[in-house]
Amino acid sequence: MLRFALRRTASAVLVLFSISVLVFLIFFATPGVDPAARIAGRNADQATLRAVQHEFGLDQPLPVRYALMMKHLFVDRDLTSFVNRGVRVIPQITQAVPVTLSLVVGAAVIWMVVGIAMGTGAAAWRGRAADPVIVVLGVLGVSIPVYWLGEVVNLLTQSRLHDGVFSWVPPLGYVGLTTDPVQWALHLLFPWLTLAALYAGIYARVLRSEMLGALDEDYVRTARAKGVSERRILLKHALRCSLIPVVSLFGLDFGALVGGSALLTEVVFGLPGVGRLTYTALQNLDLPVILGTVLYAAFFVVLANAVVDLGYAALDPRVRRA
Amino acid sequence: MLSRRLSALTAVAVLAVAATACSGGSDPTPAPSGSGAAAPGVAAAYQPQHAGGDLHLLAKSAGGSLDPKVNYTLQYWQLFQAMYDGLLAFKKVDGDASFTVVPDLAEALPTVSADGLSYTFTLRKGVKFSTGAEVTVDDVAASFKRIFEVDSPTAGTFYNGIVGAANCLTDKATCDLSQGVVVDPATNEIVIHLVAPDPELSYKLAVPHAAINLAGSPTSDAGNVPIPTTGPYMVASYDPNTALKMVRNPAFAEWSHDAQPKGYPDTISETFGLTVEAAVTAVQNGQADWIFDPPPADRLNEIGTKYAAQAHVNPLTAFWYLAMNTHLAPFDNVKVRQALNLAVDRDAAVKLYGGTQLAQPVCTVLPPGFPGHVDDCQYTKGGGTTWKAPDLAKAKALIAESGTAGMEVGITTTDDEVNKAIGEYVQSLLTELGYKATLKPISGNIQFTYIQNTNNDVQLSLTSWYQDYPAASDFLNVLLSCASYTPGSDSSINISGFCDKDVDAQMQTALTTEQTDPDKANTQWAAVDKAVMTQAPLVPLFTPKLIDFTSKRVGNYQFSRQFYMLVIQLWVK
Amino acid sequence: MSASPADVAALPPRGSAPSTPAARRAGTAAEGPWRRAAGQLVRNKGALASAVVLLVVLVACLLAPVYARSIAHTDPFTSNVSGTTVVDGRTVPVLAPSTTGLGLGVTPIGPTGDPAHYLLGADNQGRDVMARLLYGGRNSLLIGTGAALTTCLLAGLVGVLAGYFGGVVDGVLARVLDVLWAFPVYLLAISLSVVLLTSGLHLGPVHIGAGSRWLPVLIIGLVYVPYVARPLRGQVLALREKEFVAAAIGVGCSDWRIMRRDVLPNVLPTLVVFLPLMVALAMLTESALSFLSVGVQPPQASWGTIINDGLGLLYTRPAVTLGAGVAVAVTAAALNLLGDGVREALDPRARLRGAA
Repeated sequence: MLRFALRRTASAVLVLFSISVLVFLIFFATPGVDPAARIAGRNADQATLRAVQHEFGLDQPLPVRYALMMKHLFVDRDLTSFVNRGVRVIPQITQAVPVTLSLVVGAAVIWMVVGIAMGTGAAAWRGRAADPVIVVLGVLGVSIPVYWLGEVVNLLTQSRLHDGVFSWVPPLGYVGLTTDPVQWALHLLFPWLTLAALYAGIYARVLRSEMLGALDEDYVRTARAKGVSERRILLKHALRCSLIPVVSLFGLDFGALVGGSALLTEVVFGLPGVGRLTYTALQNLDLPVILGTVLYAAFFVVLANAVVDLGYAALDPRVRRA
Repeated sequence: MLSRRLSALTAVAVLAVAATACSGGSDPTPAPSGSGAAAPGVAAAYQPQHAGGDLHLLAKSAGGSLDPKVNYTLQYWQLFQAMYDGLLAFKKVDGDASFTVVPDLAEALPTVSADGLSYTFTLRKGVKFSTGAEVTVDDVAASFKRIFEVDSPTAGTFYNGIVGAANCLTDKATCDLSQGVVVDPATNEIVIHLVAPDPELSYKLAVPHAAINLAGSPTSDAGNVPIPTTGPYMVASYDPNTALKMVRNPAFAEWSHDAQPKGYPDTISETFGLTVEAAVTAVQNGQADWIFDPPPADRLNEIGTKYAAQAHVNPLTAFWYLAMNTHLAPFDNVKVRQALNLAVDRDAAVKLYGGTQLAQPVCTVLPPGFPGHVDDCQYTKGGGTTWKAPDLAKAKALIAESGTAGMEVGITTTDDEVNKAIGEYVQSLLTELGYKATLKPISGNIQFTYIQNTNNDVQLSLTSWYQDYPAASDFLNVLLSCASYTPGSDSSINISGFCDKDVDAQMQTALTTEQTDPDKANTQWAAVDKAVMTQAPLVPLFTPKLIDFTSKRVGNYQFSRQFYMLVIQLWVK
Repeated sequence: MSASPADVAALPPRGSAPSTPAARRAGTAAEGPWRRAAGQLVRNKGALASAVVLLVVLVACLLAPVYARSIAHTDPFTSNVSGTTVVDGRTVPVLAPSTTGLGLGVTPIGPTGDPAHYLLGADNQGRDVMARLLYGGRNSLLIGTGAALTTCLLAGLVGVLAGYFGGVVDGVLARVLDVLWAFPVYLLAISLSVVLLTSGLHLGPVHIGAGSRWLPVLIIGLVYVPYVARPLRGQVLALREKEFVAAAIGVGCSDWRIMRRDVLPNVLPTLVVFLPLMVALAMLTESALSFLSVGVQPPQASWGTIINDGLGLLYTRPAVTLGAGVAVAVTAAALNLLGDGVREALDPRARLRGAA
């Protein structure tokens, strides 16, 4: 088990390194990206440009620049943005983390509760009217582009119906949990619902198919023959076994979201989280921030993968040798 | 200037400019609570009953550095007006008088020597920085040196005429301006010596790049760290991801109502991060007071009808144009360039920008109402002095003559809504004219430098220019002289690569005439404009107007033609 | 990357295809698995309805030129900013300037209900939205299907090779998949599109420019490879332990033969099950990439670009973005339902997700 864990960790580090190199290379292959002119200002003259280039180390060869950037990021921890001079990358990310966590955790609670309820319901009422309705609802949730849904939600809650039904909806933005818990929740309500709409459908369908499979198993048939009530079978036997793949799936999705993959939701609802930081950095082609946020996101994806892998390895020894 | 976001506004008003800069004036819409009903050109008296409150502004993103010597964006120059002062300033009033230069930290306008090479100022006494320290002539000397120490964007273009500047530009370590800026602490006198006469110096001293900072300020970009201010406000906190907060400067005492008037709100905060659509909604709901970014096209109608009382429309001295690369086919052929000028439906471009109330078609480089502008249009159907309609038939004939039909043409624009829409229209037009046109929208943060660099082989690009100061040279000389064309550099503002020795000579003549006879110079500039448009290195599209959308509670909206809305004069109580 | 117990216990092996002499000798008492699946699929009402919906969408999109030319009499790719049209007998400008209040802004005409004159209204360039929706569907479906096929092809290759050979091959491929999975798709998309702006990419006879439809196909196709490759790899790992494979090795069959005749037919159903789901996913990703101006370039349309353009008209002409959004949602939903049906038909026990 230990050897497996060590191997997994080593491969995780390798993956992170490869991603950092790739991001760095892609950035410098992108034309028009030389930040010197933008930093120096419009219509700056040649001497000013050269001075700025030198100051930012932009006239060094690629490997040196990469090494410098990595050193600033991990060793000195003072990597600064190209676009906002003097602003450090790491504090920017750490400030954005609570926002993303608030969004993702809240949405996760909602989608898990709703998804599990819907999935169990669909499995329990298989064959009756409720089943296809639930499936279609779930499928629709997956099929709607999240930023489109977000903009429509804003149109209704902030603009069209703001004077009437939705007058209690606060303006877009984020309020810290410690500052005002009620406002924190109110500000996040619609972002939670929008993000959860997407994932609830996925989980409902996965759980439903897992449970349908579980309900066909021999031990369930035995339990039925022994006279155990259908509800007990559903909840105690089928649900418990079906939850394992759901939980592993949740781990992967949660990992990706914490890393900032909910960026479109954050942008549409004006939440200053890691996703939006990534988005603005991409728009500005601000390499240090891009590097920071991408590595941060990759770290969580890799971590989530590793945790799930380790979990399965702990449960099933066959997996350890794979 | 490039665009609202990336441009700095410096306005300097030469007397002749103030005379000829006519039309438009300030916003014709009646402001809800009216301004101080003062005589035009005179700053209204301070009304203490409206003082107080928190002004809440919105912007899509932060505007960069807090350092007035480094920042070159309109977004922050508007806010710097309330914080930093130079020896001179633009009058902070509504209307055309806002082009007038008045003394700020200097006691009076400078005395200029006969040969135009020396400008003498006397520093005002008693003005304090927000730290409590008094402003001294040593601060002035240090500030001028600092322009070169921090690599100010205009160090080489605005201030290179100061004695010693040339050396400072090439070697910062041995920078010595002691001959160029001579100060005398005993008499509080400052004398600026130039290597050549510069009638535009007053303008250049009134922009934030020439603001007076405390001696000992960092010799590199201050970035996000606030530096001491002299104006009525100072920066309390700044986080480029969330907000910029300004509070009243406790050490401020008004010394000149024209140059640096007291402000009304107690605090001003500019919050970042909302999309422009969300920001417009916030202002409509009264959750914010003003947005910096232009409202999206689909909200304009709503703003102009339901919220008309909160909308202020003002003309700008600027123009949007298509720059054609005169060194790349097919635009190296003058016939093709003239054909495009004939074919573009400027009414369509105006529609895509927001309609005739927000833009007006143009045919010349100098915008209407600008010094040196003369109504003239060489590329309209049926001739005349103003643009009426496109002439597709003639355009197609010219293209046939040039033999370039079927070539591939790439149009580079920024990827925001309006620019992309105009780009798509131009692409459709070029396809109609027989070319294989593709649209290349790229991020607004890199597009401007991208189209300037000749290594990128940009054939056609959509861009704009907003005045730095109201002088024809700021448009013609900056955009179209040979000196502004630097191949292989991200800073080559002559995007068309237009370099004509005769036209250059005409521009030099006009620049020299400016020193003695501004009116004659303006006639010469008009001739330069005409000569340039005959060779058509660019396609002028329209001159835009600015729309400021304020919330219901805001009053006393004033529009300076130089720095646009006067932020601290807004009433929130 | 490791196999989850779910994968290990996944598909029961079907054995060889019934073309072996043994099966033939046994008679056709057992229907082939594909036949059986097809029959079950047809009996599934939900899947059938979805298939019909998809067919309707497909046919409508294929008939786009007919609609544009003969019904709407419009060119959906030429800007018509200054044009006019006839509504209720009156001639009106397609992009109507505001005449009330301050007269700010220009609004395209809204849905008229008249197929000959802007059925769903005009977009911000004065083009017929309905015609563009139909043409856009072609691009969206093309990109979606192309990306899904790319994903399944590559994932099949990678999954089979990694699962069968194990060892170093598996190690390297697994790491590559990890990097791909952790890499943000948006960064890849933006950088690639900016890089290709100037010159484009030349891969032999294929020229990929910034506006080429191959670009989103490749990006989306590549990005989802780990999604499919992992469960597939787990499946192959399990298969490798089975007796019939051991028998084939014992008999002396070459690796390629075993992969072709024993492994591949058993993983093919998994790929087929994934296909409709990947098409739906690819279409949704394409629309997200359009948000970032990557992929289909103007004046070409895809549902993603129409949604994006429509968002700029959301407050005045919501029909534009709603129309395209509904089109994407309905098609993706139908694909998902069909995918569910296919999975139930081929193997109700297949675990599609939850693979580590």
